[in-house]
Amino acid sequence: MFKEMQSLANAQMTDASPHKVAGFYPYADNGGTLAAIAGDGFVVIGGDTRLTTGYQIYSREASKLTKLTDKTIIGSCGCWCDSLTFTKGLHIRLQYYLYENNKPISTNATAQLVSNMLYQKRFFPYYVSTIVAGLDADNQGAVYSYDPVGSTERHRYRAQGTAGSLIQPFLDCVLGRGNQTAPEPEKLTKEQAMIYLKDAFMSAAEREIGCGDFLQIMIVTPQGVEEERFKLRKD
Amino acid sequence: MSSALLPPFPEPGFSFENVERNVSLVKKGFKPPKFTSTGTTVAAAIFDGGIIIGTDKRASAGTIVANKNTNKIHKISNNIAFGGAGTAADCDQMEKMVRAHVELHRLNSGKQVPVCVALTKITQHLFRYQGHIQCALIVGGVDKFGYHLHHVYPHGSSSEVLFEAMGSGSLAAISHLELNYKQNMNLDEAKLLIRNAILAGVENDLASGNGIDLCIITPSGMEHLVDYEIPVAFV
Amino acid sequence: MALQELLQLEKHASFGLKSVDDVELSEEIEELNSEKLTQLPITPFTMNKNVQLRDSNTGRHIHINMEKGTTTLAFKYQGGVVIAVDSRATGGDFIFSGSVKKIIEINKYLLGTMAGGAADCSYWHRSLTVRCRMYELRNKERISVAAASKLLANILYNYKGMGLSMGTMIIGWDKRGPGLYYVDDSGSRYSGDLFSAGSGSPFAFGVVDTHWKYDMTDEEAYELGRRAVYQATYRDAASGGIVRVYGMKPTGWVKISEQDCKVLHYKYADEKMV
Repeated sequence: MFKEMQSLANAQMTDASPHKVAGFYPYADNGGTLAAIAGDGFVVIGGDTRLTTGYQIYSREASKLTKLTDKTIIGSCGCWCDSLTFTKGLHIRLQYYLYENNKPISTNATAQLVSNMLYQKRFFPYYVSTIVAGLDADNQGAVYSYDPVGSTERHRYRAQGTAGSLIQPFLDCVLGRGNQTAPEPEKLTKEQAMIYLKDAFMSAAEREIGCGDFLQIMIVTPQGVEEERFKLRKD
Repeated sequence: MSSALLPPFPEPGFSFENVERNVSLVKKGFKPPKFTSTGTTVAAAIFDGGIIIGTDKRASAGTIVANKNTNKIHKISNNIAFGGAGTAADCDQMEKMVRAHVELHRLNSGKQVPVCVALTKITQHLFRYQGHIQCALIVGGVDKFGYHLHHVYPHGSSSEVLFEAMGSGSLAAISHLELNYKQNMNLDEAKLLIRNAILAGVENDLASGNGIDLCIITPSGMEHLVDYEIPVAFV
Repeated sequence: MALQELLQLEKHASFGLKSVDDVELSEEIEELNSEKLTQLPITPFTMNKNVQLRDSNTGRHIHINMEKGTTTLAFKYQGGVVIAVDSRATGGDFIFSGSVKKIIEINKYLLGTMAGGAADCSYWHRSLTVRCRMYELRNKERISVAAASKLLANILYNYKGMGLSMGTMIIGWDKRGPGLYYVDDSGSRYSGDLFSAGSGSPFAFGVVDTHWKYDMTDEEAYELGRRAVYQATYRDAASGGIVRVYGMKPTGWVKISEQDCKVLHYKYADEKMV
């Protein structure tokens, strides 16, 4: 099977091929936006539920968030088929971890595993933007973001996907507060983080045509995961 | 009066002086800036009292909403108007040019200008520029010969129609029109038909949205209903 | 799994997997991932530059932005090695992150720097960390800088021409004293006294080449590294964020400073005005 595929693909790819064959286009851009904010004892992660191709809408109810454990959520968007395959593979790896170690995987171990799994496909990447949000060993909120080949970093807050470049500057302003002289606000609460998240997606839906329909939010606290839905523009 | 510091007034019409430069820049890998596109749903129909034209209100630059309150109904005289899709600047300039032409014609002849005069001016102008002026229009009006509705493509072809939809949302809109258009509709039926056709485009086409404008032309005059409807779900 | 056999469980039964497909996929992933850290699956076709990635539905080009754009710098002097880097990651015109750790702490006596693809650097340095630790356990002594850098160079040589993007320095202290090697994605590996990599490196080189002396004190050397990277963040749009300075001493690496380049800018500007 592998050899067949290889020769087929090479026949299509090489310039030496005497026939002009239609190219091999394994990727699709299905859009989607993710954002997550971490705090003391909580983390919130949101993703819009719109799935698109070009100017068309495939679905208004496609969830981009997956609960991995009671403390960890993954959000994945970009090429939808890659997102599905990747999260499915990740689920299986986590099952193995559970059976081999008899305990659920920690958030930071998940974060490293996601990075390794993305890099395994370095030469034929998953075309996905990924955020892992969860609570670390000290019950502090943790947000990890990834590029398509697994470059990762831990942040306090992060936006990714189609409207990521609109939401990230907003979060930088209200949460990062770089270059600002106004007094530091009080400690970030879960409620305030939710307000920022909803504001960010509402604003993004105003100006980014690929963002809209619903905002799905997952709130992780030591007590467990709660889910909330919030209406966005539908046009 | 002109010097190197004070250039003369430009010649009327297009200037082509940067064409070759721009072509060579593109060849060297320069990315030309994006034009604001109307990314529109325009729909129009003849009803038993005249002509009705409807548009959405969104203008986009790539995937960003450039304007949420765009006027896409262009009034040429008090008996002729067109709904425009394509590059926003081209539609605006087309309106200016044709309006001036039609007004001169009215002053010279002392009579109401027939729709075919505006139509001919538009199609000849578009044909001359071989599709480089990116306007797809629905021209409608009322004159002594009756009610007229024409669609015009960017290369200058046109034909007379009873109802029509244009722009990126036209597929959704035209299916609604094909299904529900009846001859001899009254004004209220026509308003509902066009409103629903635009709504179909607004919901299904990402580049259309932000509300509905209507324009009704009858023998007694023109009524421009700005923000005829802003559906609650979209606000 | 041994436990499974002991309990005489039917293979894969009761593991909550939904279908046979899941089982096959999981075995494949396990084989790929867990044991063979340095063996990446290769595409069944050539993903060279001639292959244009397009959206299968709309035909639009798809860009997979991998984080790039950097200034990294390391040089030797009488007291050891100074390592200085910026912290900006860019993709196109967008700043992905302003807080990347481009100095990778391999172990107490070894550092790596990150320039080029961020994922490439962090993955292979992580793999190098494992190998260096395995070497220590097998040989009961620390790996030399020369050997560590050669391990990395050999991996990169194996993947030569396949699109990895790395320009990395391996800095350490071993029996031979301070070590500084440059290794890149072509598989080449050089030992030297001064290296800089990334889009801001010409500016950093300019500063260090002008002011470098072997007899510098520790403080002078750290300041030179800091100043060189600051000047690169000033002139190179793809470099910026935090200027991190590390030193390599006989006792292992030490973190010297981590300062926002904005703070440095106004500090140096004030010094000019006096």
